[in-house]
Amino acid sequence: MSYYFAIIGTQDNPLFEYDFGTSKQGGDGMARFTEQARQLNQFIIHSSLDIVEEVQWTNGQMYLKLIDRFFTSYISCFLTASNIKFLLLHQPPSTSSSSSALPHPSSSGSSSTSTLVQSSHHPPTSASTSSLSVIPSLSTLTGGSNSSTPTLIGGGGTSSRTSTSIAANPTSPQTEEAIRNFFAEVYENYVKAIMSPFYKTNMEIRSPVFRARVAAAGRKYL
Amino acid sequence: MSNHLPAGGNGGGGRAGDSGLRYPSNGKTIYHRPLNRTKTAELSKAAFAYLFAEMVSYAQRRVTGIQELEKRLNLQGHPIGLKLLDLLLFREPPRSQLRPLNIIALLHFIKINVWTHLFGRQADRLEKSSNPDTPDEFMIIDNEPLVNAYISVPKEMSQLNCAAFAAGIIEGVCDGAGFPARVTAHTVGDTAGEGGEMWPGRTVFLVKFQPEVLEREALIGAKS
Amino acid sequence: MRPPQCETVFSLVIINKAGGLIYNRTFHEGGLNKISTNDYLVLAGTFHGVHAITARLNPVKSTPERPLSNSVPGVPGGILTRPEPPSGLEVLESENFRLQCFNTLTGVKFLLFTDTTQTNVDVIIRRIYELYSDYVMKNPFYQLEMPIRCDMFDRKLLSHIREVNNR
Repeated sequence: MSYYFAIIGTQDNPLFEYDFGTSKQGGDGMARFTEQARQLNQFIIHSSLDIVEEVQWTNGQMYLKLIDRFFTSYISCFLTASNIKFLLLHQPPSTSSSSSALPHPSSSGSSSTSTLVQSSHHPPTSASTSSLSVIPSLSTLTGGSNSSTPTLIGGGGTSSRTSTSIAANPTSPQTEEAIRNFFAEVYENYVKAIMSPFYKTNMEIRSPVFRARVAAAGRKYL
Repeated sequence: MSNHLPAGGNGGGGRAGDSGLRYPSNGKTIYHRPLNRTKTAELSKAAFAYLFAEMVSYAQRRVTGIQELEKRLNLQGHPIGLKLLDLLLFREPPRSQLRPLNIIALLHFIKINVWTHLFGRQADRLEKSSNPDTPDEFMIIDNEPLVNAYISVPKEMSQLNCAAFAAGIIEGVCDGAGFPARVTAHTVGDTAGEGGEMWPGRTVFLVKFQPEVLEREALIGAKS
Repeated sequence: MRPPQCETVFSLVIINKAGGLIYNRTFHEGGLNKISTNDYLVLAGTFHGVHAITARLNPVKSTPERPLSNSVPGVPGGILTRPEPPSGLEVLESENFRLQCFNTLTGVKFLLFTDTTQTNVDVIIRRIYELYSDYVMKNPFYQLEMPIRCDMFDRKLLSHIREVNNR
């Protein structure tokens, strides 16, 4: 799971951005965006600002939950009282070029991993002959996010589904709650940042302490 | 408002630090300070009065007229309002942590939360303009504004009301919440009713919203 | 004339540290004869001079007292190294009125004219000093050493003295 987090000011200007990966299930906290996706993320986030504007006057909550989706990128939003947007783009790990075209990437990802678990118990000779479709997904798993494989093999069955819920299912209530907690912590630090007498609205947040705090929140919840 | 753009575009890679930033000697930054610690703290009224007296004298330097002086006081309050909006909403219990979506909710937030935080009590009254030509005007009334507690305005400046500073705070809250408005402070001595000069310093904060705010208000009202 | 047992505050005069009259207000008509503003200015200047001379007459407290009073628990040690400043003229009494002077640390003098039987004058004058420091010194439009023209001060002062006189 890779995340791209941005704070957008009232003039749709970026104030802060940070990308990171999951730290759950032994993740190393590094984002696994391709160079192309990295560039694209900014556009995706920016385009979802329109949806924020649509939603913001119908719902007084600060946490607007999942508001937008672009292929396998999901965007969650938190809107502060003074109209500063916190946008989090999260991307489940199963990102090969073909899977983005599938209607339900999360369900297809889990089915392919379950075949992988079974096949890995077989002798290596049979695995190589069992099916061709396993091979590309194996390569994406090791290349994309090596974090999910050990838990899948170790846990198996029902426990593997709950433990991977944040990573594999961006629409689950657990993911929603984890992101809520993440936003709440960032919000607290954001309010502290603007309490500085030297900070004016729409100024870029450059404090290294703030960045460290956001990183810590990411490690803690996502 | 300055519109800064990030210097280094490449995600989490570029660090903004190391640029002559200095940390306090005990290593405690503003981020180490709990936001709710000073929630119930009180401030010396005398300290504020002296500070505010200096702020007024500062604003008075090289001004050409009373309007300009009021404008400067307003500008001094504006960023405070912007920041208070976020701080006070943060301090709300999670269940009522709602962004104000309509004018009434916003004015109630100002009358109750902002006033209690700043002045230790609620504003005295909230009124809507009775004139049908100005549906965009609302009034927050304070019988004795704390900022004016020790201030006597000289006769030759009788139109001046130093609560323009508080008006600036209100304007900041309104602007921040997405309800752009002009807020001005007017001294309205007690006239009719309530026998004589009960509140000689009564101040009306006139909140005049921009047309687009009412337009949106009508749209939202029609939808729900 | 008023019966002698009736305590009354007649008027207040404030003199700045240079001897200039900066405030003058009568609270009770008939207690004192009216004099012109010019005479008030002269009174302020004269009193200022007399006060300065009487302050010089006042002997400075001698040093041998110091170690003795050092042992008194209630007194902080640091202050004792400096002798008490000479106070000068404090009360001036005539058959019909009494003048009490209160000199602040910054050299502003409050002169309160009262009936000879008035009690608690120091309490009244302290309260006036408090009003002065609130409604005059905290007013951004007041310039130091200049005549006091503050509505709020007038209002609070009048209501305070009215309360005292009606007691």
